[in-house]
Amino acid sequence: MIAAKGFLMHARHPLAVALLALGLALPRAALADEAALQKRIDALEAQLRALQDQLTAIRADAKSAQASAANAQATAEKAVAAAPQAAASGTAAVAAGNAAPPASMAPYAFPQIGPNTVLSSYGEIQYNVPQNSNDALADVGRFVIGIAHSFTDRTRMAAEFEVEHAVTSADDSGEAEVEQAYVEHDFTDHASGKAGLFLIPVGLLNEHHEPTVYYGVYRNHVETAIIPTTWREIGVGGTWHDDTGWTVNAGLTTGFNLSKWDPNSDEGRESPLGSIHQEGQLAAAKNLSGYAGFNWRGVPGLEAGATVFYGGAGQGVDFAGKDAKVTLYEGHVRWTPGPWDLAALYAHGAISDIGDLNATFAGAPTPVPATFDGWYTQAAYKFTFGGGQQLGPFIRYEQYNTARSYVGLPVGFDVPTGPNNKATTLGLNYWLTPGVVFKLDYQWLRPDDTQSRFALGIGYAF
Amino acid sequence: MWPFVAALTLSITLAACGGGGGGAGSAGDPGLSDRAALGKKIFFDPSLSASGRMACSTCHDPAFAHAQNNALPVQSGGAGLDVPGFRAVPSLNYLEKNPSFFFDSEGTPTGGFNRDGRAQTLADQAQRPFLAAHEMANGTPDVVVQKLAAAAYADDFRRVFGSAIFADIDTAFLRARQALEAYEREDPAFHPYDSKYDAFLAGRATLTAQEIRGLALYQDPTKGNCSGCHPSARGSDGTPNSPPLFTDFTYDNLGLPRNMAIPANADPAYLDMGLCGPERTDLAGRRDLCGAFKVPTLRNVATRKVFFHNGAFSSLKDALTFYVQRDTNPEKWYPMGSSGALEKFNDLPPDLAGNVNTTEVPYNRKEGEPPALTDAEIDDVVAFLQTLTDGYTP
Repeated sequence: MIAAKGFLMHARHPLAVALLALGLALPRAALADEAALQKRIDALEAQLRALQDQLTAIRADAKSAQASAANAQATAEKAVAAAPQAAASGTAAVAAGNAAPPASMAPYAFPQIGPNTVLSSYGEIQYNVPQNSNDALADVGRFVIGIAHSFTDRTRMAAEFEVEHAVTSADDSGEAEVEQAYVEHDFTDHASGKAGLFLIPVGLLNEHHEPTVYYGVYRNHVETAIIPTTWREIGVGGTWHDDTGWTVNAGLTTGFNLSKWDPNSDEGRESPLGSIHQEGQLAAAKNLSGYAGFNWRGVPGLEAGATVFYGGAGQGVDFAGKDAKVTLYEGHVRWTPGPWDLAALYAHGAISDIGDLNATFAGAPTPVPATFDGWYTQAAYKFTFGGGQQLGPFIRYEQYNTARSYVGLPVGFDVPTGPNNKATTLGLNYWLTPGVVFKLDYQWLRPDDTQSRFALGIGYAF
Repeated sequence: MWPFVAALTLSITLAACGGGGGGAGSAGDPGLSDRAALGKKIFFDPSLSASGRMACSTCHDPAFAHAQNNALPVQSGGAGLDVPGFRAVPSLNYLEKNPSFFFDSEGTPTGGFNRDGRAQTLADQAQRPFLAAHEMANGTPDVVVQKLAAAAYADDFRRVFGSAIFADIDTAFLRARQALEAYEREDPAFHPYDSKYDAFLAGRATLTAQEIRGLALYQDPTKGNCSGCHPSARGSDGTPNSPPLFTDFTYDNLGLPRNMAIPANADPAYLDMGLCGPERTDLAGRRDLCGAFKVPTLRNVATRKVFFHNGAFSSLKDALTFYVQRDTNPEKWYPMGSSGALEKFNDLPPDLAGNVNTTEVPYNRKEGEPPALTDAEIDDVVAFLQTLTDGYTP
């Protein structure tokens, strides 16, 4: 069946049709007289030479087409370089000049939807069962679609549109958001700049957060509660790299808006900065923020870096926190010797000049923390099989505290700091192909053991 | 709601109005539109009442956050200022963001004007006081319009609404009420946001230790939990950075003791049950809402002389003490019945006592348990509430 189908497919080719016709014609020729037969053979020879010429021309066309395809691929790679960082993953990192992207960040084939435009997407669906199985949940955590376009070989744009939790409406919990939308330009082969809404280059997860990249069904706590992944701001940023593995990032962007703090909500305790981020949504921009950081990838398989972010959070609002400043710094390292994938990160946040504001929150359950921090370490080992399959068991240990300290609380109305959360996650990632991953893990949480959970997940990215 | 009466305040009102209503408002009022300036004149005009001695400002005294300036549970109106009303006078301050009545997505009644939310706008709210027998007692709109046409500012009225405006009774009556609404919305005196607490939120004032303690108790969900219904944080109405309004615009059933100082309550059959009537009629079938009244703003609450819809208390401390001791010490608030049993929640039919809120802090306690706030802590909360009075100068 397959062979027949293949033959018919080949029969559509002009040369194959001619050979078929020749084969069918010969028996008839045997029945003709010799002269007529010779005449017919001469005619067929002429016809065959014509077909050979045609075949030569077709081969030439094919060669030309291959060259065009190669050109197109080159163009696509340019566009891929502009693809949203999260989706573009390792390919984007290579395009940006990073010497050795993390091993897990395998390049994907990006569908081309125009001569200089590519499409990307990722998604993740999760299922978890906490200690109280009545609270089991299944959720389309994220569905993201991205587009990138190269205007020239040095100028490109990228944008990502994301839907969280499947359904977004006034009565639903989902969110629809533009996660990235920026233009990037290469000034030289080593320096580029971007402007628009983009991800802050901080930590290991913020820029590369697609499900095929990280271990575990859910993103780690530290880079969610302390670093508010997926953290993006509107502004301008620059990147410089050299050939020895150094990459330096710096930028000027919008920042946090402390006037959004709700002392009666748990949001600030879940993620202090996550509760006051602005995400490019009518962002108050009286106070701009700055960031600077570096990564070093001078040894194959090793990435080490740090970032600091600082800025005012009063945003010109006339309230008791108008002088507040946010500082966040982190350091990270990732080492992938062979099949091993080892990582560690520490992040520390502080919000200063909040004494007067916290006085206004007297008695409320969630004042503004002065400091918050967390760290984690993670070890994974990748078994590689045929067809691009990989199996990655991992273990991760985290400690994080979203309210390490308070200031300004009235005497007698202290709010307990902490808790000092601890999370141990043991799990498995199985990559069916580099772009499709199945996950399972179990997470032990302390001190609130009721939130310990078993989880399953599926993710894809291209 | 405008129970326009109060003979006790007449002299003050007349002094404020300047007699026939030309008085406080003028076409040249800075910051006010022509319509609002006209509304101001109407607001202070006692000639628009049957008695000739009652203006809007009689019961809604600007010196008392546009609420009553006496300790009577209800005011009296009518031609002789001797017809008693049914409810205490609410403040007209901070109604500029009050939404029209609706049920939210969870079925919670929200918004509306009057203590039972039956008026959808400030202009709607202004209708009843002009007509009701216990207030300005004009009976019908045409009587009001006749008085408007004879007022000193009648030419202003024609200039703003057209020369033929008085020929159309319904339209003229509506325009007068819309002018009042414009005045209430535009004049900062109705929403100055200049209390000590506002200055504190802005970082321009510090509270005393007692006031801070009171704030903490007010906001603590395990103690006063007052902010549960009277939010005290910026932006709590959903508008980023907006000053707190100290109301979430919902309704609550507090199970207040019946106030026998209200003449209507002499009739045992008379029961004022808020959302389900008798003044409001469209929710009469919602027996689960009987006894629920609108959560008022607490801004300027320390200027009030009586508290709650039935004026059951005449001091802020008593009102707060009722909150925390209603269930721990019910004998302090409710009378003994003829059978010797305590008649708790005696301003509701016994079969509707279950409507009373007994689940939320601070009224989720049982008899004999310690109240959520001690006497000293109540004093602290009172001290904090006094910081909500407008007109603070550092």
